[in-house]
Amino acid sequence: MIALPLGILMFGALGSALLDGTRRRNGWLAAVILLAAIIATTWLGWDVYHHGTREMAVGGWDQGVGITLRVDMVGIIFAVLCQVVLLGSLIYEVVSDVGARIFPSLVLFLAVGLTGLTFTGDAFNFYVFFEISMMASYILVNYGETPRQFRAAFVFITVNLLGSVLFLIGIAGIYHTTGFLDMVRIREQMPLVQENPAILTATIIFVAFCVKLGLFPFHFWLPTVYTGTRPAVAAMLSGALANIGTYGLIRFGIDIFPRELEAASMVLIVLGSASIVYGGVQALSRHAPAEVLAYSAIGQVGYIMIALAFAGPAGLAAVILYSVLNSINKAVLFLSISLRGWVATTALAIGAFSVAGIPPVGGFFGKFVMFDLAVQNESLVLVALIFIGSLLSIVYMFQMYRRRIATPELEEDVIDGWGVQAVSLVLALSLVGIGIYPEPMLNLIQVAAESVPKGFTP
Amino acid sequence: MTLVFSLAIAALFAVGAFLMLRRDLIRLIAGMIMIGNAANLFIMASALRRGRAAVLPGNGDEMADPLVQALVLTAIVISFATAAMALVIVYRVYTSHYSMDLTELSAAEEEQSERDEPESGDLVEQDIEEDIEEMPDDAKVGVLA
Repeated sequence: MIALPLGILMFGALGSALLDGTRRRNGWLAAVILLAAIIATTWLGWDVYHHGTREMAVGGWDQGVGITLRVDMVGIIFAVLCQVVLLGSLIYEVVSDVGARIFPSLVLFLAVGLTGLTFTGDAFNFYVFFEISMMASYILVNYGETPRQFRAAFVFITVNLLGSVLFLIGIAGIYHTTGFLDMVRIREQMPLVQENPAILTATIIFVAFCVKLGLFPFHFWLPTVYTGTRPAVAAMLSGALANIGTYGLIRFGIDIFPRELEAASMVLIVLGSASIVYGGVQALSRHAPAEVLAYSAIGQVGYIMIALAFAGPAGLAAVILYSVLNSINKAVLFLSISLRGWVATTALAIGAFSVAGIPPVGGFFGKFVMFDLAVQNESLVLVALIFIGSLLSIVYMFQMYRRRIATPELEEDVIDGWGVQAVSLVLALSLVGIGIYPEPMLNLIQVAAESVPKGFTP
Repeated sequence: MTLVFSLAIAALFAVGAFLMLRRDLIRLIAGMIMIGNAANLFIMASALRRGRAAVLPGNGDEMADPLVQALVLTAIVISFATAAMALVIVYRVYTSHYSMDLTELSAAEEEQSERDEPESGDLVEQDIEEDIEEMPDDAKVGVLA
C-alpha cells in the first residue's frame, strides 16, 4: 500500500517518457497519472491518520535489513502538497501547449523523487530520491530553451550539485558515527554520539538543505534561476522542489538532531530574521514581477526558519502550516504572473493577499500562527520582526500588483487563454478555501506535529 | 590508513574547490566531479570495519564493511549521471552564447536584468506619472481628480 503511489508515478513516468509529450493527449495522460497518485497518497494518508505511522521493508527483506519505507502524517502532507503543485503546473503547461517531448515525463519523475523522499525511512534512500528529483529539475530548468534558460540551468546545477555533495558527506558522517542508516535507529543512537562529530554532521546537513531552500546567505542562485525559467517551471521549483529543504530540516533537524537544533536555535533565528529583512527589502527595490517573487521567496523562508528554531509541537505545526501556504502562494503567483485577463488578475490578487497575510485568504493563518508563536515565547524582538516582515510583504506585493496592471504589455512571451487562467484561479481559490474553513487543515497539521517524536521541549 | 584517506580526500576537495573558482566552464565541471569523488572517498572512509573483501570471506577473517561499498556504488552512478548532465548544459550554454567564459555569461545576465528593469533608479513618483500617462483617458480623470 505504501508502494502504490510510488509505483503509479514511477511506471507512469517511464511510460510517458516513451510518448510524445507535445501532443495534448499525452500531456493529459500524465496529468491523470499524477491525479491517480494524489488519490493513492490521500488514501494512504487516511490510513495513516487513523492507524498511525506505517512502515515496510522493500524487496522482501526482513525489517531492519532491507531499506525501510516509513510514512507518517508529516510525510503525507508534504507529498500531497508537492503533487498538487506539480499537477497544477503540469495542467497549466498542457493547456498552454507543451514545448518539449519529455516535459510531462520529467514532471512525473520530479513527483517520484519528491514523493519518495517523503516516504522513505532510510537516510541514504532519502539522498537517492532527492537526486531523482534534482535530476528531473536540472532538465526542467532548461525548458523553453532560450539562452536565458541555459544560463539559469547552469547556475542551478552548479550550486545544487554542491548542496547534494554536502548532504552525501553528511550522511556518510551519520553512518560512521551511529552505524545505522535507518532514521529511527539513528535517532535512538544519536544521543550516544560525541558532541563534536554530531555538531559537524548536523551543520553540514543544515547547509545542504538551506541551499535548496534559498535561505539568506545561501540564496545567491535563486533569483537568477526563478526569473530565468518558464513560469510553470518556476512554480514547480518554488512550490514543490523547495519543500525538500523544509521537509529535510524537519526530518533531520527535529527528528535526528534535536540536541543540535536546540543549540543552534539562536543561529536559526538570526539567519531567519536576516532572510526576512533582506528578501523584503530586495523585493521592494525590484521592478520585474518574477524578480519580486524570487526575493519574496527568500523572505518567506525566513519565517519557516524562525518557526523551526522554536521546535516543539507548536513550532513544528507552524513550520508545516507556513510551508504549505507558502508553496501554494508561490505556485499561484508564478503561474498567474505572465498571464493577462481578469481571471488571472483575480488569482494574482488572491496570491498577493495571501503573501501579505490579509484575513479572508489562507496566508493570514500562516502569519497568525507565527505571531502566536512569538507571543507565546514572549519575544518582543520577534513580534516586531514579524510585523516588519509582514509590512514589507504588503508593500512589495501591492507595488508589484499595481505595476503589473498598470503596464499593459511588458513581456514578449505573454501567455493567453481561458484554460491557463482557470488553472491559476483554481489554485488561488484553494487558498481562499483554506482561509474560510481552516479547521480540517489545522487539525491535520496538529496531528502531524504531534506524531513526530520530540527530542526536547523548548 | 585513516591519515592516508583524509589526505587524499583533502587533496581531491582542494583541487575541486580550486577548479570551481576558475572562469572556464569545463574546469568548473571538472572541479564539481573532483568534489563529488572526494565525497565518494569519504563514504569509503566512513566504513565501520576494514578487512578482506566481503565476497566469500574465509572463516575467522575480518570482513570489510559491505554497506559502504554498496552506498558508494550508488553514489558513483549518480555523480556520473549528474556530471554528464552538467556537461550537456555547458554545451547548450556554449552553442547559445558562443562562449565558455563565466564573465561573459554574467555580462549577458546583467544585460538581461537591465532589459527587465529599464526604469531602475527612477523615483517611484515618476513611475506613477508614467503609469498615469499610459492609462486610458477616462481613467486618468479619476486619478487626477
